[in-house]
Amino acid sequence: MGNDRDSVRACPNTARQGVTFFAVGSYIVRATMPTRRSARKGLLPKSSPPQKAGPTSQDGEGVPRDAGRDPDEQLLVETAQSDPANFDALYELHFERVYAFVASRVRNRATAEDVTSEVFHKALANLPSYEWRGVPFAAWLLRIAANAIVDHAKRAAREFPSPDDPPEMAVNLDLQASELRAIEYRAQLFQLVGQLPEVQKQVVRERFVEQRSIREIAQRLGKTEGAIKQLQLRAVQNLRARMEGGHG
Amino acid sequence: MAKRSLAMQLDEVVQAMLVSLRPRPEPAPDRDLASLTRVAQALRELPREEFRAALKSDLQRRTPMSEGTAASAGTGEAQARAVHYQRPGLTSITPYIIVRPAAQFMEFLKSAFDGIERMSMPTPSGSIMHAEVAIGNGAIEVSDGNEQYPTAPAAIHLYVDDPDATYARALRAGATSFYAPTDEHPSGDRWGAVKDPFGNHWYIAKPRGWTPGPEGLRSVQPYLHLREAHKMIPFLEASFGAEALGVHKSPEGAVLHGTMRIGNATLEIDEAHGEFQPMPCHLHVYVSDTDAVYAQALRAGASSIETPQDKPYGDRSAGVKDAWGNSWFIATYLGTK
Repeated sequence: MGNDRDSVRACPNTARQGVTFFAVGSYIVRATMPTRRSARKGLLPKSSPPQKAGPTSQDGEGVPRDAGRDPDEQLLVETAQSDPANFDALYELHFERVYAFVASRVRNRATAEDVTSEVFHKALANLPSYEWRGVPFAAWLLRIAANAIVDHAKRAAREFPSPDDPPEMAVNLDLQASELRAIEYRAQLFQLVGQLPEVQKQVVRERFVEQRSIREIAQRLGKTEGAIKQLQLRAVQNLRARMEGGHG
Repeated sequence: MAKRSLAMQLDEVVQAMLVSLRPRPEPAPDRDLASLTRVAQALRELPREEFRAALKSDLQRRTPMSEGTAASAGTGEAQARAVHYQRPGLTSITPYIIVRPAAQFMEFLKSAFDGIERMSMPTPSGSIMHAEVAIGNGAIEVSDGNEQYPTAPAAIHLYVDDPDATYARALRAGATSFYAPTDEHPSGDRWGAVKDPFGNHWYIAKPRGWTPGPEGLRSVQPYLHLREAHKMIPFLEASFGAEALGVHKSPEGAVLHGTMRIGNATLEIDEAHGEFQPMPCHLHVYVSDTDAVYAQALRAGASSIETPQDKPYGDRSAGVKDAWGNSWFIATYLGTK
C-alpha cells in the first residue's frame, strides 16, 4: 500500500447514500445509522491498549494516531458525561457493534447478553473517566468488551473447571482488521433487520433468534410452510440488497 | 432431479446451520445461494429485540442511581457490580408456581402456551426441585415444593399475539373456561380467561396495538387479586422500590386495576372480586441488594421465611411473606461478579 498511514479514505465500492465506509489505517469503520448525521467513528487503538485491542499492521498499513476524532460523536459523549440520562444516544449507536463483537467470542446467547449488559453498565459507570485523546468511543467500548469477555472466561473456568472442555473463546484478543470488518458487517446487518417489513422481520426473528421450525412459524403466523420459506428468502434477499447494494 | 426453488435451497442451508449440520450438496446450486448464506450465517447471532430494549431501560433506570450513589460507591466498578444482579434469562419478577405434579404442569405449559423447558432439576425421589419454563419473552419457575414452600397456584396475565388460538389450545390441554376471548373487557384488550387443571388462572390477552415482542411488555405477568389491594402499593414501594405505573380506583377507593413496576418487570393487582379471589402465591424477585430489600420488607410489615444467605446455585437469597400471604423470594445473582 502507499503511504496513507495518516489518511482517511473512502472505499469506492462501499460508499452508499447515508452509509459511509471508511478505511482508517487497517481498520474499516462505518457510520451505522443511515438516518443520522454521517458520524465518522474510527476504531482506533490506543498506543498501548491493555488487551492489545489493536491491529498488528500485518497488512502493511500503519496506525493513524488521531484520524478518528469525530466532533458529532464527541458531542454525544460530552452530553452524556454532563448528564448520564443522555447515554441513550450512545447506546443506540453502539449496541449492535458491542453485541456483535461479544457474540462472536462467546459460546451462547445467554453469555452474550450477560457480557453485553456488563459492558454497557461499565461504560455508563465509567463514562466520566472516558477522555477522547484520539480513542473513539467505539474503540473504548470494544476494549471494555474484550476485558469483560476475558473476565467472564476466567470466572467460568473458576466456577466450572473442566479441563476437557474447549476454552470459551480464543485467548488472543487482538482485533484484526478482518475481525473488525466482520463486527461492522454484523452490526450493520442487525440494525437493518429492524427496517424490514414487519412480517419478514417476524420470520427472521422466529427463525434465527427463537430457532423455531418452519412448521412452527407457519402455525404461529397462520401461513403455509411454503409462504414462510418465501418470506425467509425475501427477508434475506432484502438484507443482502441493503448490505451490498445500499438500498432495497 | 429437478432443481429446487431458491427458497427451499436457502431453507435447507438455514436448517442445517441451526442444527450445526453440513447441508446436503445441492445438485444444481443457485448462484445466489452463497451470498444469501453469508447473510443467514450472520443472522444466527442476531440479538433478541427484548434484550436490547430491556438493557436500554435498565440503563435508563440506572442513570439517576449512578449519580446518587457515586459519592458512596466511590468507584464506577461498584456501580457496575450493583446493577448486574439478575440471573440471565430472568427478569426482575418471575412467578414461582408450586403445584403438584410439577412435571405434568410443565407439560401443560408446553402444550397450551408453547412453553420451552429451560432447565429442570429433579430431587432424588424424582419430583421436581426447580424448573424454568420460558413462555414468549417471559418465564415461569416451577417446583413440586416442600413443607417450607407449599403448593400455591397463581394468576398470570399472559400476553400473546393470538388470544383466541391460545385460549383454544389451553382448553384442549385441559383448562376450563372462565370466559372466551372478548373485545368487551374493560381494559380494551382482547381478553379471555381460563383455569388450568392445577388451579392456576390464566388471563390470555392481546393488548391494543400489539406487535409481537413489544418493548417493555413481558409475556408473563403475575396478577394478584387482593383484599385491600390499595395497601399493597405502599408495601411494594417501601420493600422493593416499586413504582405504580397506572392505578385505577373506584369512587370508593378500591383498586380496579394497578400495574406495579419492580426493576425491569411489572405485576398487576386488583381488589379481589367474584370468581377472582385471593390466591396467595410465590414470586421470585431479583434485586441489586437482597439484604437491604429483605430488611425493608420486614420494616414494611412482611414476616421472614428465610434470612439472606448465599445459595449453592450462585444467588444470594432470602424469603419473606407479605400480609396477604404471598411469598417473595428475594434474590441477587452472584454469578458474574
